[in-house]
Amino acid sequence: MEIFPALLSVITDPMLLFAIVLAAVVGMVVGATPGLTASAAIAMLLPITFYMSPIFALAFLYVIGKSGRYGGSIAAILFNTPGTAASAATQIDGYPLARAGKAGKAMKVATISSIIGDLMGDILLVIGVGFIAAIALKLGPPETFAIYFAAFVVIGSVIGSSIIKGLASALMGILIAMVGLDPISSEERYTFGSFELSNGIGLVPLMIGVFVLGEVFAQLESRRKATGATRENESSEDGNSLTWEEYKPCLPFAVRGGFIGAGIGVLPGLGSAIAAFISYGEGKRRAANPEMWGKGALEGVAAPEAANNAVSGPSMAPLLTLGIPGSTIGAILLGVFLIHGIQVGPTLFLTDKELVYKLFACGMLGILAYGLIGYFGATQVARLILKIPTDVLYPLILLTSFVAAYSARGSMFDVTVMTFAGFAGWLMRKYDFNVAAFVISFVLAKGAEETFRQSLLMSDGGALIFVERPIALAFLIVGLGAMALRVRGIVEERRIAKGELEDA
Amino acid sequence: MRAYAEGFVLAVISIGAIWGAWQVPAASPGDTWAGIVPFSASVALLFLSGLMLVGAARHAASGVTQKEDDSATLQIVGLFIIALLYQQSFRWFGYLLPTAIVAPVVLYIFGVRSWIGLGLSVVLCPLIFHLIFFVLLGVFPPYGEVFDLLSWIQG
Repeated sequence: MEIFPALLSVITDPMLLFAIVLAAVVGMVVGATPGLTASAAIAMLLPITFYMSPIFALAFLYVIGKSGRYGGSIAAILFNTPGTAASAATQIDGYPLARAGKAGKAMKVATISSIIGDLMGDILLVIGVGFIAAIALKLGPPETFAIYFAAFVVIGSVIGSSIIKGLASALMGILIAMVGLDPISSEERYTFGSFELSNGIGLVPLMIGVFVLGEVFAQLESRRKATGATRENESSEDGNSLTWEEYKPCLPFAVRGGFIGAGIGVLPGLGSAIAAFISYGEGKRRAANPEMWGKGALEGVAAPEAANNAVSGPSMAPLLTLGIPGSTIGAILLGVFLIHGIQVGPTLFLTDKELVYKLFACGMLGILAYGLIGYFGATQVARLILKIPTDVLYPLILLTSFVAAYSARGSMFDVTVMTFAGFAGWLMRKYDFNVAAFVISFVLAKGAEETFRQSLLMSDGGALIFVERPIALAFLIVGLGAMALRVRGIVEERRIAKGELEDA
Repeated sequence: MRAYAEGFVLAVISIGAIWGAWQVPAASPGDTWAGIVPFSASVALLFLSGLMLVGAARHAASGVTQKEDDSATLQIVGLFIIALLYQQSFRWFGYLLPTAIVAPVVLYIFGVRSWIGLGLSVVLCPLIFHLIFFVLLGVFPPYGEVFDLLSWIQG
């Protein structure tokens, strides 16, 4: 019930409402611009939020993340270029609809489905987060470490095409987080006598480097390979409107997608791309017209789009209740909490309950903001994006990344860290390592280490404590089970691919 | 070849990390060793690099080779070197002068060929970024040890 006073409080704050609408526009433009991601925009804007109040900063970045997920569908449908990985599933049916002169209709279905999915996710978050926090308060260090372990393994092995590279990325994130003074014994680790390294590697410059500068390097590379200009698909007069009769068959697919997305969103690391594709596959399996899917079925837009956006709210649950970010956006938001001196975890619901529910309220109002702007103005946003000169945009982003990294702490060392992190981020992308796993693991490492060492102290150095406690054991099994399932999936895919090759 | 290189680089990183963890002094009685997590993570990384090298050997035995497309790599390495010089020159010349020089260079690399545009960037980029970050947000600008254009302008 805390959500209603929070909603009232946000609605009566004109500055906060303005921030929400501005974030909705920024997120939509960033999400719809191929090559730009909401993560990059949030990382770049992070230092600016130092000068804002916590709720203002969190709401601004949270709504950019939500709107960015939706914005990806604009590029997928209108330009046949998914603005985000998650909107690739929307592209399958969205682009054929646009080619048939129904771009406006497809956009309206995507918008309504996004609103349905996102609101479902947020409502489930509001209902469930209190229960999860109450349970989390009862967990001891061994159980918490087991959850961290499961998160590392799931994030490392499930995202991306290679389990080994995913896990290696996660381990490198852990090793980078270990640089500096040990928080328990104050012993130096990986500092090589450098005073600046003894303070550790900052979260903000690392994120700006990996997500912003790394993306600029990647864009420079992709520009050399790119051919042809992006062109918007125009709608015919009939193809621009959407009637209730047309949307009615899409509704069950959107609701099912909402539940799929919300379920996947709670699990750290899986993300909206997986949710969108699972929802698309499930929708096609249950559809009355599966032969139309892939050729321009409106239901084929509704199902992935609802799932993609439903991930947003529930992905905040592990972050707020356990301090475990489920996504890169979650990892950046964790940075905002820390910058403003707010400890994330189960105690957050005791110390800053009002802030948390105000954030949820801002998220819900953000959904309405991007929904209204998208429903009536998605094609205008698309035209705006086509006018953005990318040869000017990326150099400006590069220059911004330097001044943003410096502004975080006024430290030149942070700018150096950002520069190296940018190059490392590009290398990781180029060689198919997992950037998301690297950053999330970097964020999780300190908490995991603390709980691991507390557990060892509790058991006088015996590692069996993780096996003797049933909840801890269950989470260890969940992590290893997820990895085993992924290995099985990859082996199966290779077997099928090999079979197809032999058939050919 | 690429798979071997990836495995080899990971192995080198992990051996370096093991050595670094080994430098952490032993724990005092009743405490846990501060190097336990870095050591465990680097050993796990070494194991994964071993797996990558084994995978690379199998890949090579199957005779499948990947064609590399490194045409853009040199350009990116060049941009990285510019980025390194840019961040270092903050320490020597403050923010304004390096930005005025780097802005047109980066715009040119990304394909801007308008001389007027490049000329404008020399003035507009440092000015706009300075106004947003160092005036509006109140961040203290980096001071150039050799020469600081901002100090010179301010007299």
